[in-house]
Amino acid sequence: MSDGGVLILAEARQGELREVSLELVSAAREVAAGVGGRVAVAVIDQQAERFANAVGADGVSEVLTVTSPTEHFEAHVWQRALEGLIERERPAIVLAGHTIDSLGFVPAVAARLGLGFAADVTAVWWAQGPRARRGAYGDKLHAELDFPGKSCTLLTVRPGIFAAAPAGSGAAAARAVEIDLDGTARTEHVEFRDVAIGDVDITKAEFLLSIGRGIEDKDNIPRFEHLAERFGATLSVSRPLVDAGWMPNARQVGQSGKTVKPRVYLALGISGAVQHLAGMRSADTIIAVNTDPEAPIFGVAHFGAVADLFEVADELERALG
Amino acid sequence: MARDPKYDVLFEQVQIGPKTLKNRFYQVPHCIGAGSEKPGMQAYHRGIKAEGGWAALCTEYCSIHPESDDTSRLSARIWDEGDVRNLAAMCDRLHEFGALAGIELWYGGPHAPCMETRHNPRGPSQIASDYELNIFPRYMDADDIATVHQMYVDAAVRAREAGFDIVYVYGAHAYLPFQFLSPYYNRRTDEYGGSFENRARFWREALYKVREAVGDDCAIASRFAVDHLMGPVSIEAQKDGARFVEYADDLVDLWDFTVGDIAEWGQNAGPSRFFEENHEKPYSGTIKPGNHTNKPVVGVGRVTNPDTMVAIVRSGQFDLIGAARPSISDPFLPKKIEEGRFDDIRECIGCNQCISRWEIGGPPLVCTQNATAGEEYRRGWHPEKFHPAANREKSVLVVGAGPAGMECAMVLGKRQMEAVHLVEAEREIGGCVNWISLLGHSDGRPNLHRGTARGLGEWKRIVNYRQIQLDKLRNVEIHTGSRLSAEDVRNYGAEIVIVATGCHYATDGLNAATHAPIPGADTSLDWQMTPDEVALGSKEVGRRVLVLENEGYFMGASIAQKLAGEGREVTLVTQAKEIAGYMEYTLEAPMLHRDLHRLHVDMHVYTMIERIEPGVCHAYNVWDPEHKHEFEVDSVVLCTARLSNQELYREVKADKGRLDQEGIEAVYVIGDASAPRMIVDSIFDGHRLAREIDSPHPEMPLPFIRERRLWGEASNEDYLRQLANTADVALV
Amino acid sequence: MKFVVCVKQVASLDEEFELLEGGGVDSDFVEWELNEWDTFSLEAALALRESGEGEGGEVVAVTVGEQEAEEALLACLARGADRAVRVWDESLQGADPLAVARVLAAVVERESPDLVFCGVQSSDAVTGSTGTALAGYLDMARVAVVTALSYDAPSSTLTVDRELESGLVEVVRIGLPALLTIQTGINEPRYATLRAIKQAREKPLVTYGLEDVGLDAGAVGVAAGAHTIELQTPERGAGAQLLDGSPAEVAARIVEIVQERMSG
Repeated sequence: MSDGGVLILAEARQGELREVSLELVSAAREVAAGVGGRVAVAVIDQQAERFANAVGADGVSEVLTVTSPTEHFEAHVWQRALEGLIERERPAIVLAGHTIDSLGFVPAVAARLGLGFAADVTAVWWAQGPRARRGAYGDKLHAELDFPGKSCTLLTVRPGIFAAAPAGSGAAAARAVEIDLDGTARTEHVEFRDVAIGDVDITKAEFLLSIGRGIEDKDNIPRFEHLAERFGATLSVSRPLVDAGWMPNARQVGQSGKTVKPRVYLALGISGAVQHLAGMRSADTIIAVNTDPEAPIFGVAHFGAVADLFEVADELERALG
Repeated sequence: MARDPKYDVLFEQVQIGPKTLKNRFYQVPHCIGAGSEKPGMQAYHRGIKAEGGWAALCTEYCSIHPESDDTSRLSARIWDEGDVRNLAAMCDRLHEFGALAGIELWYGGPHAPCMETRHNPRGPSQIASDYELNIFPRYMDADDIATVHQMYVDAAVRAREAGFDIVYVYGAHAYLPFQFLSPYYNRRTDEYGGSFENRARFWREALYKVREAVGDDCAIASRFAVDHLMGPVSIEAQKDGARFVEYADDLVDLWDFTVGDIAEWGQNAGPSRFFEENHEKPYSGTIKPGNHTNKPVVGVGRVTNPDTMVAIVRSGQFDLIGAARPSISDPFLPKKIEEGRFDDIRECIGCNQCISRWEIGGPPLVCTQNATAGEEYRRGWHPEKFHPAANREKSVLVVGAGPAGMECAMVLGKRQMEAVHLVEAEREIGGCVNWISLLGHSDGRPNLHRGTARGLGEWKRIVNYRQIQLDKLRNVEIHTGSRLSAEDVRNYGAEIVIVATGCHYATDGLNAATHAPIPGADTSLDWQMTPDEVALGSKEVGRRVLVLENEGYFMGASIAQKLAGEGREVTLVTQAKEIAGYMEYTLEAPMLHRDLHRLHVDMHVYTMIERIEPGVCHAYNVWDPEHKHEFEVDSVVLCTARLSNQELYREVKADKGRLDQEGIEAVYVIGDASAPRMIVDSIFDGHRLAREIDSPHPEMPLPFIRERRLWGEASNEDYLRQLANTADVALV
Repeated sequence: MKFVVCVKQVASLDEEFELLEGGGVDSDFVEWELNEWDTFSLEAALALRESGEGEGGEVVAVTVGEQEAEEALLACLARGADRAVRVWDESLQGADPLAVARVLAAVVERESPDLVFCGVQSSDAVTGSTGTALAGYLDMARVAVVTALSYDAPSSTLTVDRELESGLVEVVRIGLPALLTIQTGINEPRYATLRAIKQAREKPLVTYGLEDVGLDAGAVGVAAGAHTIELQTPERGAGAQLLDGSPAEVAARIVEIVQERMSG
């Protein structure tokens, strides 16, 4: 039933290709040899061809464009389009980003077509068939999955795990795939809106810049607030700063504060008392800067620098322009 | 869970003379209000800690002779066979758990007023005590010195008989041996004064003689303030401090280092509002790393963080983790570290309520964090063990998650009540602690002495500990952001209702000084406010502020500190003889006064406000009401009376018919909602009700064992029988 | 109006859990509770029912789970759901989101509600897929990751906010019947009083086997999208990779790592 090969579903929003699309190209490389056949990237958009060059990165054999009748993403249109692509192209593996847009239609495609399926996977490989890894029990464990009896497997891949492939420059051939999508939309776009950032909820933040006793003085807090802003991070703190009354309890990470699970946790001047580690050890990536090479934070960090945090903070400001 | 190998170092044995400490956790001598007069309290308070894993537990300071009598404060005493018998109870209890017992032999010199014995203390020089009022010592000639040395020896022999393993010659806090050593006290010109060797002679001889007497059987320890914090006029750590350690090193098996003296011993028992964890390190922490001793060293610094403990040992700062307050707050600190139960550690908040009771004159110690402190024997309360309540099938609603409500719900949960709901009107649990813990700051600049006004942030641990414990209790549900009306309470479906709705500040200046509101006082005006409004920043405060402090504890002074630290001109007025009188007892007063002075806060004692008008407060002297004073101000903060939020309680209780109809069997009120009080007492109140929720009349506290002499024939069986009758028998 | 709210009793692991030989987690280290997202989706249904438009409607809580999952249903009933349905078959042990959605679809078809509410995801599996897969089986219009909603009765349409990445929201309209997956924070979930908890036990709670909803184990097995080979403990604490060099070099590497990890 399958013609083999990997089909990647690119993603765009408001006329911009989203980075995850090129990460999926890198992910596809992990399985392309095993599965055999071509690596195709599909773009669904009102003007799908405008992204054809960019997604045709190194290793992509073909770019497929599907013209959407709607200006913006519409879950039911995209669902029909992907169903049509899979029915026509018969790939063995379909990769999509584990993104908000995907959440609205990808599982429905898997359900309707009876595909192999796993969401939010962090690794893919081939071992006589597709294999994938994903978190279990809130990421405290990893589950290794296979997809017996499925000729096509649809995976949504966690963004940020694979490095984005460099964008292509038109080397891959583009082909328009005609799928009748008229009348498939079931929701009506009203508008896009920026959300006002209300009270800080550090448990929901994806990037935390966390400071501790190492900042020495209350007067130093504003410069780290500024750095966090420049970096697009949310500022959090370890307990000594709350104990000292310098920061509100709502910003505190740790056993007596909040348990956080951001994608990146950048700890500046935090030694890593056990009570603190309990609140952040399941962050995806932990980077620690501390002057004390024996600081316990280095025991859980993925990246560590023994350095003066003020010097590093200054350089970070500079690097961020 | 097994112990993290990182903490293995804390559980290594340490040899001190003829004795072995099973680990590095050491409860240094500290007062509890038991002494030799309350042997049950002494044995059980220390015994609970022995059960909790401490390697050694010491008595409080223990007088060696009636001429060292600290009445009205309460010390232990080892004057006679009766004292031996009473203190032996403590030693026996500790030995059951494999812990060592230490005794701190004390001779106070002029710092012992002898109000009970009416003896006359002796001292190195005839200079009146800088701590007591009008107490002069008798100058010690050579005979006196021999006599006092013999008192140490006799006391040490009695201590050995009682079963003590560690015998101290206590020279910290400026007591007699230190008085000889320090030129500030010692003005002698004989062989016991002048040169270092002469000043050190008395102490060395005392150590030598005690060692000769009991050194084969007991470890000999000495507690020494390595720095008097007075500069060159007295002992400094890097000079005579280190030198004395070297000089007497051969005579001790264990050094116990502190700083400061008794007149301002808050420099040693540092309150959290001025001192952080391990704050003595720059003084007592330099002796061992400076290679001035070959003997094990214990030191303190309100250390509750296991990583700090490891760092202290690894860096060679101390060999033993000394603790007084952390051991009161959590008697099971060592066990919890050993079992990896870090989130169960009940950390000391450094409020010094424990110390306040000793300062007041010897009532039993209390602890804000650990309501069972001092209640181990007389009420049979254990900090970690809870009996399932006999009426555990009753459903309970606790209204209000402040100190009393949190504690009550937590203990009810631990007593396995099947369904407890803790409902809080605000978004977060914690009640008044949430805003009180924001206070205590000024401008963050160093104080005039040591430390800075770092504030009451650590008081938030009251909430943190309870939040963690409550979250673990599957039978307790917490609901926040839900303000219940009386009708909501009636319809809630609880069989037991506990109201813990706290209190509020008077808005009209009602106060204890005049028993009436103050004319013109009205915090509904935008330029007059209550302390909580200042703490939460809900009102604009003018440039010139008058803070009226009628309460006598931390509130008025903390508000003044904050506003002055922010750059305002602050006038602080109290009807009392001093600002924040209770902070003398918590040892916070000296540092507070340094900060208020540095911030140019204008203080007026014995002064009361009689009328408030826009822009001006009219005041008078309480001893001469005709003596008037006017303060021109822009804003007024009224730290006057607090009033219970008891409408809910009254309303729910009033309709007996509805209570029956809704199946509500009992309605109780606790904490500030019952009567405003200190946080330590609110937590106790909540704990007490929960411990006795299945007693015949839970609103009435059960009797506790009173350790008093019974006229005629009496025996321990009398006490043990009473203990068996208390609600929660821990250890019989 | 009739609402179906699909809920899940989720497992959370203690800090120090242990794995059993042959995969799986020792149940001594597992605690069960109603999925946090579902408390918000239930509240959305209850609130809509109580508003003028939805008044008089029925809220049915549905779960696929073992006996202990009844606690989740009781929690919904205590908060105000009218009745509850639990479906279980031993073959559903460890079922993946597609299999669960297949079972839910059979129940929802029988209830034929106007609105189906699901949580965006469950805190244990975190697939974010069950609700949308359910919509797929039912061929029902849906919006995923909803952070606000309002209902217009005359047109029978919902206007909802769809939460996108990096602080952006898309507002869309959708007609009934429809399925929404609800994000946390959309409302303030109510809690149940002690009385409501007691009274929940009096409300209807039925348990179905697969055959009761017209399915057989084979059909569900075919629906399953994946098979778990094994559970593993993630490798941690292998020590940090050291970032050497001058502060400027360290800063440059940090920026690089952050950008790499945050992209997508």
